[in-house]
Formats: sequence, C-alpha cells, structure tokens
Amino acid sequence: MTARTRDREEPILSARGIVNRFGRQEVHDRIGLDIQPGEIVGIAGGSGSGKSVLLKTLTGLHRPNAGEVRVDGRKVDAIGPADKASLIGVLFQQGALFSSLSVAQNIMLPMREHTALPAEDQERVAAMKLELAGMSAETGLKFPSQLSGGMVKRAALARALALDPRILFLDEPTSDLDPLTASGIDALIQKLNQSLGVTVVIVTHDPTTLFTICHRVAMLVDRKLTIDTLDKLMRSDQPWIREFLHGRRAQGAMTARKQNHGNG
Amino acid sequence: MPRASSASPPPAIAIDDAGARVAVKGALGIRTLPDFEASLKQHPPKGKSRTLDLSGLTELDTPGALFLCALRELGMTLTGVRAEHRALLDLVGGLDLKAALPKPDRVPHWRRLVIELGKGADDAWHDTYDILVFIGRAINAIGTALTHWRALRLPSISRHIEETGIRALPIIALMAIMIAVVIGYQSVAQLRPYGAEDFTINLVAVSVLREMGVLITAIMVAGRSGSAFAAEIGVMKVREEIDALKVMGIEPMEVLVVPRLIGLIIALPLLTFFADVMGLLGGAMISRALLDVSLTQYLDHVRHAAVVNDLLVGLIKAPVFAFFVGIIGCMHGLRVTGSAGSVGDETTRAVVKGIFLVIVLDALFSVLFEKMGI
Repeated sequence: MTARTRDREEPILSARGIVNRFGRQEVHDRIGLDIQPGEIVGIAGGSGSGKSVLLKTLTGLHRPNAGEVRVDGRKVDAIGPADKASLIGVLFQQGALFSSLSVAQNIMLPMREHTALPAEDQERVAAMKLELAGMSAETGLKFPSQLSGGMVKRAALARALALDPRILFLDEPTSDLDPLTASGIDALIQKLNQSLGVTVVIVTHDPTTLFTICHRVAMLVDRKLTIDTLDKLMRSDQPWIREFLHGRRAQGAMTARKQNHGNG
Repeated sequence: MPRASSASPPPAIAIDDAGARVAVKGALGIRTLPDFEASLKQHPPKGKSRTLDLSGLTELDTPGALFLCALRELGMTLTGVRAEHRALLDLVGGLDLKAALPKPDRVPHWRRLVIELGKGADDAWHDTYDILVFIGRAINAIGTALTHWRALRLPSISRHIEETGIRALPIIALMAIMIAVVIGYQSVAQLRPYGAEDFTINLVAVSVLREMGVLITAIMVAGRSGSAFAAEIGVMKVREEIDALKVMGIEPMEVLVVPRLIGLIIALPLLTFFADVMGLLGGAMISRALLDVSLTQYLDHVRHAAVVNDLLVGLIKAPVFAFFVGIIGCMHGLRVTGSAGSVGDETTRAVVKGIFLVIVLDALFSVLFEKMGI
C-alpha cells in the first residue's frame, strides 16, 4: 500500500472538535479526524449514528454547532465554489443525478460551469470518465431514469470525478447493489485511488468494503469517533465495535480481505 | 500531488521551441488545457521524429493525460515522463476510447412540428379516453363505498373535508367579497347615467348567487385542492406507496380517490353557500358606500331581486364541479411516472384542466338552464 508510506504529510482533510446537535439530541460530541492524502478511510456506524450528518459536515453542506473542518489546509466554508468543485467530489447515496439531463450532460455540467474547455473536448473527457467508471460511451445518451441501480452509482461516480477532485466522498456506494456489482464498485474505488492518487472517504454499512479496500476505519459509536487501522480495531473492547467486526456478517468479509491481500 | 492544485492560479505552459522537440513546462490540467492546445497549435513540433519532452511537467490530471494520449496516437513521441505521471497515462491510455460520445438524432424543425402535432392529437384522444375510464371506475368505487359501510372511510373523508373546505374559508371569503365589490363598482358606473343605480343590488345579488359565487369557489378549489390531490398521490406513486397498497390487497381507488372525491363533493357546495353569503355581504358594503343604502334596506331589496331558484341554480352546480375537479386531480396524480419532474408536470396539468373543465361545464349549465327557463 503505497499510500501508507506518506503518513507524515500534512492531512488533506482534518476535522477538529465537531459537535452536532439537533434540538436536545447530540449526534456528535467533539469529533476529530485527520485524513492523509491518498488514503481510503471508511466511516462505519449503526443506523442513526450520524454518519450522513458527518459526511455533510466534512463536505461543508452542514455547518456544525461547534468545531471546524479544514480541507487542504483551508476552512471548508471559506473555499470558493470553483475551487471546492475541483477539491472535493461527492457520490450521493441515491446518485442525485439531475433527472432532466442525460448522463453525459450530468458529467459535463461541472466542466461547463468551472472550466474553459471547448464543448467537443468536454465530450471527449466525459466519454473517458464514463469509461473510467466502467461504462460505455453509449450510456452517456441515457437519462438517469433509464439506468439500473449499479449504473446510477457508476454514473454518479463519473460525475463526482468530473473535475479530478483530490478527495472523493462516497455515501454508501455499495448499498442496494448485488454482491457482484458491489465488489465491482469496490475494485473501481481501489483502482481510482491507486492510479489517480485520489483520497477516498467512504461512508458504508458494508463490512466487505471496510475489510477489503479501506486503509483505516472510523467507527462512529455513541457520539464519538474511533479511527484506526482495522487490525487495531479488531482488538478493541468497545462492545459495538466488537460485535460489528466479529459478528456473523463480518466473517465473510474477513475471508474476502484475506483473498484481496493474499498476493500483496 | 500529480494533479492541478485548485488553490494555485492556473499555471502557464511554456513551450521551448527547438525544432522537432518541444519541451512542456508547468501544470497540465483541465483549466490549462485550452491554453496549452492553442499554444501547441502555434508552435507544432516539426520533422519526422516529433517529440514532446514532459520532464518539466509538474502536474497532470485525467483530461491532460487524455490529450497527451491523443497526441501519442497521432504519432508524437512522449519523452521524459515522470514516474507519477506514467501511471496516469497508462490508465487513460489503457481505456477503450474508440467510441466517442454518441450524438442524439437531430430531427429537422418542420418534421418535429409535424411529430409534435401528431403526438398532441394522440395525447388529446388518450386523455379523453383516460378521463372517461377513470370516471367510470371512480363512480363504481363510490357506489361500492356507499353500499358497503366498511368501505366508506369516514375519518379519511372528514380529513379531506377539513383540508379542502374549512381551510379554504378565509381565502374564499376574501375572493367573494372582492368580486361583489368589483361587480358593484362596474354596475354603478354603467347604470347611473340612466338613473337606475338601485338595480346595482339586483345585479350583484343575482350574479353572485347564480354564477360568481360557485365559479370563484370552484376555480379556487381546482387550484388549491386539485393540485394537492395530484401532488399527494403523485409523490406516493414515485415512492412506490401505490404499489405497496396494491400488493397488500388494498385498492388505491378505494382508499385514495373515493374519500377525496366524497370529501370534495360535500365541501364544495358548503363553500359555495359560504361564498354566496360573503358575496352578498360585499354587495351590502358597496351599496352602503356608493348608494347610501342601509343594511335593512339592502336585505329587503335583495329579497325582492333574487328568488330561491337563483341560489339553487348556483348550488346545484357545485357538486358537479367538485366531482370533475377531484377526478382530474386524482387521475393526474395516478398518472405520475418515475421521476420527481413528472409530479410537477401532472400537478400543472391537473390545475389547468380542472379550471378549464369548470368553465366549460358552467357554460353548458348556462345553456341548459336557459332552455329550461329557470
């Protein structure tokens, strides 16, 4: 894992003392997080533990009650729209593809807004992004309503990659997918991370994703975040983490991990 | 970092023109690509062994790599590629990019016009057919509900009476008063030269009772409740709630359409009566202001001017309007497909068609009552 050798670099994403409250209910209690360039970090936690709120906080879509998020050394809400678009890309859970635009137009939208690239070059780049996300160029003509679940994720991933962002946020990239398609998405994420050097933050329930492609895992339990390598988390005595990592669903994922790391 | 940093301003690309060999310096990314393309066109590498020296390239992203790969395809040699850029070039070069983004079929303008015309005619025919079928199914369902006590969902009906009726009271009151005031003003202005301004009261009373009260109410309800029906049912359709009902053996017609229709058919005549009262009140206000007629005199005048038939002619139309506004709203809600955009489309159609039908039906009623001599 080449990414792990650059541990001492300045973190590309750092959060300090994040507190999120909804009414009386506190979701996050002074959460901190540092992510190095080139890492794949998985964020896991039970349903309703505030994973999605954390993702929204990290991407600057939600302003926390306290604390600050820095991306590339700058406060996330101080980054201008054009810079933000080339700094972070987000794959939303339902894809959030614009239903009135074709897939190719969806991918070209950020390029059209933020770059001076001529139209035919944009089309060439869009075709490449589609290919990169594992889809044929012909898919570009289709509209989001004509795509299957897996295709929606791939198309949304292609759009998230439109401006070659340095950090990719993925909200449950493998949920609602069959295991084969899900592993395809996992492999794709790993490939993009290795060849583009993109930092990836994945919010997921899927133990397989956590076990096979994540360098470090952040567990959101009881309003606190525990972030570490999987091997160390396996030895944690926190009951929920133990249950999550040693439970029946995790066993299959462990086998997958051994296969994935067997020759590397 | 191998790619263009977003924080830095777009870096320039310098080309050292040395005949066949062109050296690239700086960052090549999506933001600098157009400039780079332009300057490369001005100073193209000459000779047989055209070479691009990339050792001075600091940053590269996927569009930049795509461009370099295209140059390589055209026979240009890339030298001095840094290790971190090679992986990117290999990745992009390894993709199967033969297929360009396909173009959608372009249809000439005149043909599109013909196509649209044909589609419109076809849609109009299907629309009419759908409405007729839906009316049949709705009447059938209402009949079942009325004969089977259990199928009649009273709590749901009362909720719809509240939403379509009681909550519309303030706006209906305001509209009815305003309309009476407007008619009153116009009548006084027209009748005064003939010294017949006292007939203003007749005009206001009769037109409010026979036409304006029910028409204003029905149009308002078509806008308020017709759209609400279409949007509520449409959103349920998008979220597969309608399918869930069907799977559970619950007829959507029975639980969604019938209570709304019955609720509206009960609420609209009541609202119309309320609008009539408010309209007469508006008439009293305008008579007081312009004609100096006291309330008792006004009421006396109205009693002579308008007969019970005028009130009934207005009220009898209300349930018919209610039925059609409800039918149109529910039908368009159930016609929603897939996307969120279609909810908006169908809601718009429900309102436009609802108001259109109300006015057409009102015209038909006028002819009918005229022939009957009421």
